[in-house]
Amino acid sequence: MINYRFKKKLRLFIIHAILIIACLIVVLPLLWILRTSLAHRVLAYQIPPRWFFKPTLDNYAVIFKEEPFGLFFANSLIVAIASTLLCLVIGAPAAFSYSRFRTGGNTLMLGMLATQMLPAITLVIPFFLIYKTIGLYNTRIGLLITYITFNIPFIVWIMISFFQTIPRELDDSAMVDGCNRFTAFLRVILPISLPGMLSAGVFSFVLSWNEFLFALILTGKKSKTLPVAVSGLITQQGTQIGAVCAAIVLIILPMVILYFGLRTFLIRGLVAGAVKE
Amino acid sequence: MKKKGVFHKIFQFKNSMVYPAIFIIVLVIMAPLLYSFYVSLHKYILQFGMGKWVYLKNYINAFRSEMFLLSMMNTFVLTFSVVTLEFLIALGLALMLNHEGLKAKHIYTIILMIPVMMPPIAVGLIWRLLLQPDLGIVNYVLNVFGIKSLGWYGDPKLAMMTVILVDVWHETSLIMIIILAGLTSLDKTPYEAARVDGASRLQTFIYITLPMLLPVITIAVLIRMIAAIKTYDLIYILTRGGPGFKTETMSYFVYKMAFRKMSMGDASAQSFILLLIILVFSLILLKVIAGKET
Repeated sequence: MINYRFKKKLRLFIIHAILIIACLIVVLPLLWILRTSLAHRVLAYQIPPRWFFKPTLDNYAVIFKEEPFGLFFANSLIVAIASTLLCLVIGAPAAFSYSRFRTGGNTLMLGMLATQMLPAITLVIPFFLIYKTIGLYNTRIGLLITYITFNIPFIVWIMISFFQTIPRELDDSAMVDGCNRFTAFLRVILPISLPGMLSAGVFSFVLSWNEFLFALILTGKKSKTLPVAVSGLITQQGTQIGAVCAAIVLIILPMVILYFGLRTFLIRGLVAGAVKE
Repeated sequence: MKKKGVFHKIFQFKNSMVYPAIFIIVLVIMAPLLYSFYVSLHKYILQFGMGKWVYLKNYINAFRSEMFLLSMMNTFVLTFSVVTLEFLIALGLALMLNHEGLKAKHIYTIILMIPVMMPPIAVGLIWRLLLQPDLGIVNYVLNVFGIKSLGWYGDPKLAMMTVILVDVWHETSLIMIIILAGLTSLDKTPYEAARVDGASRLQTFIYITLPMLLPVITIAVLIRMIAAIKTYDLIYILTRGGPGFKTETMSYFVYKMAFRKMSMGDASAQSFILLLIILVFSLILLKVIAGKET
């Protein structure tokens, strides 16, 4: 009896130990970056590192003054929000139509799936050539359009799963009450599926915010997004580690806020396609 | 009754809700792809404009190019290592998190999910700083424990492993979340039956948990594999494909061909080959898993 209980406690102890180590592996690098972002220029480089120092916001001042990180932040924000909203508006009705009536059938589904398999580079090359010709190079709108390429299939895919959990009787009762198909969708289904839309939206926002290759190739000084700007900091020799860390914190910050604020929605979006109800 | 044809169906209002989406997709995905294919059939150096028609020569030359084949090999090594490692670790973590009697489950889950939404660029940059041979904190800590400093991404022998490890740090959470979600939604009844029948923990795991998880595992592995073949951001920020060409993945190789060598025809062709490889591997994976189910 004692042996069995001991084994059980030992197992639990080992599990806790492993999980704690895993958590440390995740958290320590991030804390280090945060710490370095708050350190004086020279201090940031020091090895062996100084553990206690007076924190300063100098590095953040640097990236906002010497490089227009405010602009880059705004660019990222505008493009991410705009592309997400646009794709939700276009994708939700499409997903609804598919989930209720199977419009487009297997071809639509397979098509959506196939677009997820596209490597970014395969699309970047033609977009670059086309944009250079029609003058959309180095514009936010141009970038936005490319973000639609991967956001729409994704949003449609997620929303299909969500719509399938909403019983058809709801449509029917709405139509009995005098709606046509579209109004039923607008007034009855849509409000209920707001959590689903939020999940899809948050996840799509994250994808757009983190996107790098399209932004790298298709933007210039004016329309750069954060990921591109951050990567640019490290190419010159003699990079200021403190400033780089500040930039990293800046690019991660919205994600962290979103994460803790909307955790349930983010996870729902991630899992929607994977787990069948 | 007269059967309503497809023509009639197209004009029904309920179907028209998909039209904006389909129109956008055709415009924004199909058109560029077709144009890219068109470009891939020409010789096209950017500064000189579209050159002459060369049929499939760009494709053939790609397979003759030692560097291209090398990047293919790198991509396979990376993908295989990364997917396997991440899957195993994620499975282990998910099982542990799902273990009953774990009160702190939520806190652990919250913390372990953090890497998921970090941009690959930020992850690459963070580890580039941490693993800097002379100024990075990791080597310092190793020295404290008496271990010699490592070259990490600068060492030809270690570079690929470094990339793999960083990717594992980043993406394991994603697989873990998917598997965990699958685990929590599993039906409890087979487990009770197994307990009654006196099955050991290992037996329960192999014969009950794994088979029930198969669909979830399939999706997770498929998603991760496709993304891993496409790896670009991490390579760009961590190693630029170096040292030498040790960590050059196909995506990065094609990027160099298009935007450093300016050879659009070659690059387009190679990017289609990459796409094809992804399709083929996805199909193979699906066939393998579907085979296991029966």
